[in-house]
Amino acid sequence: MLRKKSNGAVRAARLKDALAPVAGSPLDRRSFLARSGLLTGSVALASVLPSGAVRPAKAAAAGPLTSGATRVKSVCTHCSVGCTVIAEVKNGVWVGQEPGWDSPFNMGSHCAKGASVREHAHSDRRLKYPLKLEGGQWKRISWETAINEVGDKMLAIRQKSGPDSVYWLGSSKFNNEQAYLFRKFNAFWGSNNCDNQARICHSTTVAGVANTWGYGAMTNSYNDMHNAKLMIFFGSNPAEAHPVAVQHILKAKEQNKAKLIVCDPRFTRTAAHADEYVRLRPGTDVALVWGILYHIFKNGWEDKEYIKQRVYGFEQVKAEVMKWTPEETEKVTGVPGAQVAAVAKMLHENKPGTLVWCMGGTQHTSGNNNTRAYCALQLALGNIGVAGGGANIFRGHDNVQGATDMNILPDSLPGYFGLATGAWKHWARVWDVDYDTIKARFASQKLMESVGIPVSRWIDGVLEKKENIAQPDNIHAMVFWGHAANSQTRLPEMKKAMEKLDLLVVVDPVPTFASIIPDRQDGIYILPSTTQFETYGSVTASNRSLQWRDKVIEPWFECKTDHEILYLFSKKFGIDKEMFKHIAVKGNEPNIEDMTREYNRGMWTIGYTGQSPERLKAHMANQDKFDPTTLKAKGGEVDGDYYGLPWPCWGTPEMKHPGTPILYDTSKPVAEGGLTFRARFGVEYKGESILADGSYSKDSEIKDGYPEFTMAMLKKLGWDGDLTPAELASIEKVAGATKPAAPADATAPVDAAAMADYDKKIGGVNWKTDLSGGIQRVSIKHGCAPFGNAKARTVVWTFPDPIPLHREPLYTARRDLLPKYATYSDRKAWRLPTLYASIQKVDHSKEFPTILTTGRLVEYEGGGDESRSMKWLAELQQDMFCELNPADAGKLGVKDGGNVWVHSPEGGKVLVKALVTPRVAAGVAFMPFHFGGHWQGKDLRSKYPKGSDPYVLGEASNMNGTYGYDVVTQMQETKVTLCRVEAA
Amino acid sequence: MARMKFLCDADRCIECNACVTACKNEHEVPWGINRRRVVTLNDGKPGERSISMACMHCTDAPCAAVCPVNVFYTTADGVVLHSKDLCIGCGYCFYACPFGAPQYPKTTNFGSRGKMDKCTFCAGGPEADGSKEEYEKYGANRLAEGKLPLCAEFCSTKSLLAGDGDVIAQIYKERVSKRGYGSGAWGWQTAYHETIAS
Amino acid sequence: MAKVSSRLLSHICIAAAVMMLVLIAAAAPSSPASAQNVPQAATSEQQLLNQLKLGGAISGQVSIPDKKSANLIHPAGRDWRTFRTVWLKWIGGVAVVGMVVLLIGFYMWRGTMKIAGGRSGRTIVRFSGFERFVHWLTATTFVVLGITGLNITFGRALILPWLGPQAFSEWSEWSKYAHNYISFAFTLGVLLMFLMWVGQNFPTKADITWFKMGGGMFSKGHTEPAPAWKFNGGQKLLYWFIVVAGAAMIVTGFILLFPFYAGLTIDSMELSQVFHGTVGVLFVALIIAHIYLGTIGMEGAFEAMSDGTVDVNWAKEHHPLWYDEMKSGAVDANAVVTPAE
Repeated sequence: MLRKKSNGAVRAARLKDALAPVAGSPLDRRSFLARSGLLTGSVALASVLPSGAVRPAKAAAAGPLTSGATRVKSVCTHCSVGCTVIAEVKNGVWVGQEPGWDSPFNMGSHCAKGASVREHAHSDRRLKYPLKLEGGQWKRISWETAINEVGDKMLAIRQKSGPDSVYWLGSSKFNNEQAYLFRKFNAFWGSNNCDNQARICHSTTVAGVANTWGYGAMTNSYNDMHNAKLMIFFGSNPAEAHPVAVQHILKAKEQNKAKLIVCDPRFTRTAAHADEYVRLRPGTDVALVWGILYHIFKNGWEDKEYIKQRVYGFEQVKAEVMKWTPEETEKVTGVPGAQVAAVAKMLHENKPGTLVWCMGGTQHTSGNNNTRAYCALQLALGNIGVAGGGANIFRGHDNVQGATDMNILPDSLPGYFGLATGAWKHWARVWDVDYDTIKARFASQKLMESVGIPVSRWIDGVLEKKENIAQPDNIHAMVFWGHAANSQTRLPEMKKAMEKLDLLVVVDPVPTFASIIPDRQDGIYILPSTTQFETYGSVTASNRSLQWRDKVIEPWFECKTDHEILYLFSKKFGIDKEMFKHIAVKGNEPNIEDMTREYNRGMWTIGYTGQSPERLKAHMANQDKFDPTTLKAKGGEVDGDYYGLPWPCWGTPEMKHPGTPILYDTSKPVAEGGLTFRARFGVEYKGESILADGSYSKDSEIKDGYPEFTMAMLKKLGWDGDLTPAELASIEKVAGATKPAAPADATAPVDAAAMADYDKKIGGVNWKTDLSGGIQRVSIKHGCAPFGNAKARTVVWTFPDPIPLHREPLYTARRDLLPKYATYSDRKAWRLPTLYASIQKVDHSKEFPTILTTGRLVEYEGGGDESRSMKWLAELQQDMFCELNPADAGKLGVKDGGNVWVHSPEGGKVLVKALVTPRVAAGVAFMPFHFGGHWQGKDLRSKYPKGSDPYVLGEASNMNGTYGYDVVTQMQETKVTLCRVEAA
Repeated sequence: MARMKFLCDADRCIECNACVTACKNEHEVPWGINRRRVVTLNDGKPGERSISMACMHCTDAPCAAVCPVNVFYTTADGVVLHSKDLCIGCGYCFYACPFGAPQYPKTTNFGSRGKMDKCTFCAGGPEADGSKEEYEKYGANRLAEGKLPLCAEFCSTKSLLAGDGDVIAQIYKERVSKRGYGSGAWGWQTAYHETIAS
Repeated sequence: MAKVSSRLLSHICIAAAVMMLVLIAAAAPSSPASAQNVPQAATSEQQLLNQLKLGGAISGQVSIPDKKSANLIHPAGRDWRTFRTVWLKWIGGVAVVGMVVLLIGFYMWRGTMKIAGGRSGRTIVRFSGFERFVHWLTATTFVVLGITGLNITFGRALILPWLGPQAFSEWSEWSKYAHNYISFAFTLGVLLMFLMWVGQNFPTKADITWFKMGGGMFSKGHTEPAPAWKFNGGQKLLYWFIVVAGAAMIVTGFILLFPFYAGLTIDSMELSQVFHGTVGVLFVALIIAHIYLGTIGMEGAFEAMSDGTVDVNWAKEHHPLWYDEMKSGAVDANAVVTPAE
């Protein structure tokens, strides 16, 4: 009986079945291997593909659970790689998960998180009903009560303090449609006090990079890294943060023998696979980059022709760079001079090379300097706009790119239109509502057009003196909508802020740490939202590709989708009629596709216009047609498209632009995904032209630089005749102009004044505001980029440091460097006073001698509330820890696994386990940021709503996260502060 | 006849634990049972390597040799399986296993550790292929469905290979010759008494 | 107690000790903590295997709490397997079967050792009720432990074929439970036995004489009784074996019963099993001899543990010094000579 499996009779029967070529009959291994070609020598192919041996035959029978199940395609909701998830659903239950082999992004792969997404439909720790804190107890309430009570309280606050006193903190876990709706909702609520995780993730990237060459996104793609001959990482650890991206990285490493350089204070799992590991002191990225660039300039290794044609300001940068001699670089960064020289040589000898950075580079008080320094390095090497090169900025959340593009941000409207009057008018036209209607919702036009408070500073919006804030009153209500409180620094102060609020609302699939931090008796509401597997819509991966998710399961218990909750609030606030004018609502659920089409009609700036729901769905259905390196489709209805129509996907969907796989790649015509650097900063600066000099994209009819396209420019070029009458009519409508009627008598003179007025009006309509897409279509028809053709700039004259400078962190132990590399002066920004020098001048280095930095674990994501509620993941990391170098641990008398107190100069402290490891250098401690639920040694499990406490709790690293914000974007500084570790 | 094996290419493994959660997902393995795990050698030092490890389905499996009640059997595909009905939970297979594969539901055991559980190469157990009983005791039987183990299929970097030993050995060999380095087919000497020349 | 059996015993003990030393040497040096010190430069499997000491493991770091899972490859399992599937079977087989064969031979040659002077009809109290309780507590639990223990080692080869997998598995599972739980009673028995009899089991000069005379068992004719107090030299040897080996069985058994407690590693488990198995089969063999002598091997011996009394002549022949002592009533107030019924 035990021998059944190897029993000859049984085996023979199965073999016979297998040999019979009946479709759908069970295959045994042998026949499967035979059919998949693995037995007959396709090994060479298999080993060339990174997928190795394991691409199985399709179909075949399924097990007891999965037989008869339908397969639904979705996209993983964790990081930004965009892995396709194949869900097997039976009777409404998500019963199995299979590899999505056809996805060019993940080719079947997942990481720990992706491999366990089915638990979203499983985890008994998820919220089931709306809850309210009453007398210190969580009480189940109905949705109706929840919306009414929360809504009434908000309206009262609005009445008393104005709309800016309610803070709507949105999420990069929204899909694009929800993100778009959330931003629109905020416009209708009448405040710019909204934000999302992008603020504390890559805001310095977006600001730095967009101000260098036009767009603030990843220039190439994970897949394009196949073409790289060198990959250099700054503060990026894809092995844990973007594991599936590593297959693309390793492909380059193995097939191109590409050099892999990891610059990180911590010896990460990525560093383990590096050819060169550069250990720098946290917070010295600019110094290191300039130190590398020093050798490049010194040896004349820079790409002179490229710089001449396409880059502005390198002479000024060079002056700064040449101060960074090997000695100075070593003194500041701790990296041996010889290693810096070796890295520079590798960069020079191995082109194209790609540069990747993540939070290690962005989360600093001078984060924008770091990001611009990286850009400068790549520009010097001529690595931008080429396959295998690029600034490959790996983003964090699954849709942090999309949520950024939709601008759930306090400083812009969807598509980075900004907040100026023109931007509002543009969106009012798209929404088909009166500009004045929107304006009336705001406290004032001034507040409507001034940036709001960023998420990193909301606590100051509560705690700061009213007279110091550039808005009528403090924040009184805080909405945490899909955002972890413990991912923000200064938790001890956050607790105070949360206790001072009138109202705290948490909208999330899990209760989150936010709902239990404050010691309150009432005033907290928890609204259960669904995960993205319970709805559908588009999501933008890090490489700007949009993917369409299908709905896997119905919402769990009483959970509601984010867009439905938004609709309920809009109804409560009486703004639903205008808000959903062109979005169908079924029941209480707004139609997703209608929202896609609406932003398609407005987001011309970054080309979110060509990605109609139909095209995106077609891409998901034809994933197998896309080349895993170029992302270009061959054959089928998607022939010629790039996977996910990476933005900018110019013009209307009907124009069929294929998307732009590599930004600023002049080797392709714009119509086929080519691009120039954007003319975003005018045509000249200080009398010097900043348009491209002799560089242009393939087939461009203008063989030189040119400014961004306007109707006037089309006319000047004589291309306005290419516009269709419908396009012209649309442009006229935007301009509010009517063409003076031609006189009946053809010989009579036209009304010159009227004509001039008309020309002036329509001449002002540009590629961003033309709702027909005609201007984009025509410019592309002539081979030109709608946004112009300029030089990238390495000097951002509008920033506090036009040329990136090294500045010591606010909490630094290197007092000796302060005279030369001090931080900024205190200033007021984003409605709030912001401190720099006054913090840095206090010397904490004696009491707090250890540098503290933070980072990610592969098993968890963000604040970890959700992933710690998933038992398959939670089991793998059960304890919050602090990494300590063996030398430090020895001095402290701390054993691996022993408890330590980590104290912060701002009074925070955490009780965590010591992980003694040489991953960190002596004098540096590292903590992961995913934990929450403990408070300075106290376990708060009992405060969670019963049954919804995450499996794993722990101290939050941000208990020790100190003050410090990027001077441009208010990015919080989490990557370097000081601490004191003590044995507990 | 195919001889199923696992091969972890440590030069690609990044300890992402996809294999571990894939296994949990596919078989609903409870907390505390780790059919597969990732071990990092030389942690934090140059030369650090991570290796995903589970039952290697050894040739002449030690677990089968030492089992006092003979619950193990090897399928025609070379997969080492066992009967939970017959297992008495004595723990001897754990002593003999060079890879720490056998798992027991009770770790604080007194009279019993419970029935041993281990990686099945996604091939179920002695019950009828694809039956409910098989699923409940051993998890899914992917091999019977013509699919390979989910851990390897999900592997983020294609480090973990599962399939016919000759085929995956060939793939590994070609990888090594192409890229010029390879830290070895971890566990093969111990499990199969063979190495892959590189 | 038979001289032959004690000699055999000593031989087996030496053999076992030598083998155990080998195994200890094989298994001892590995501990996962020290194995963290894998070389700096290249982490290649071949290199690590080459550097591996006998019994060691290639070991690293895991995030899950189950730290024993940090052992990646532990080839020592193979050595343990060889012990279990080859060595233990031979040791056990030779010891148990050899002992039975020896005893049969001895019986055929010697037959039941009669009371030379015949039964006197008078008895003397040899073991009190408490002593007998302790003996039988230890004895019965030992028998269960021995049988269930042998089942784990030999059952697969000997019983499984005729019982079939289902029934054998069932039986084995119950016998495992029995083995695990009864071990506590056995522990108590050994402990009490140790305390109860330790005073009477220190070696004396008489024991040397006793051993020189082979306990009087190897001469068929009537000879002078070998000198012995309450326990003769052979019995003392048995006693100390039971105490020492019993303790070893108990300690190793508990290590196996509570695996991985107190930082114990897989090596300590394997080593414990080696001890437990080896000592176990020797123990069984020795107890078989003990049973033989206490029953059919010697007339008048069994009564000592059944009703607690022995015939006076038996006492004179086998424990003359003790008998004299009893007779003088110097030591044991309970030792009253009564007429047999």
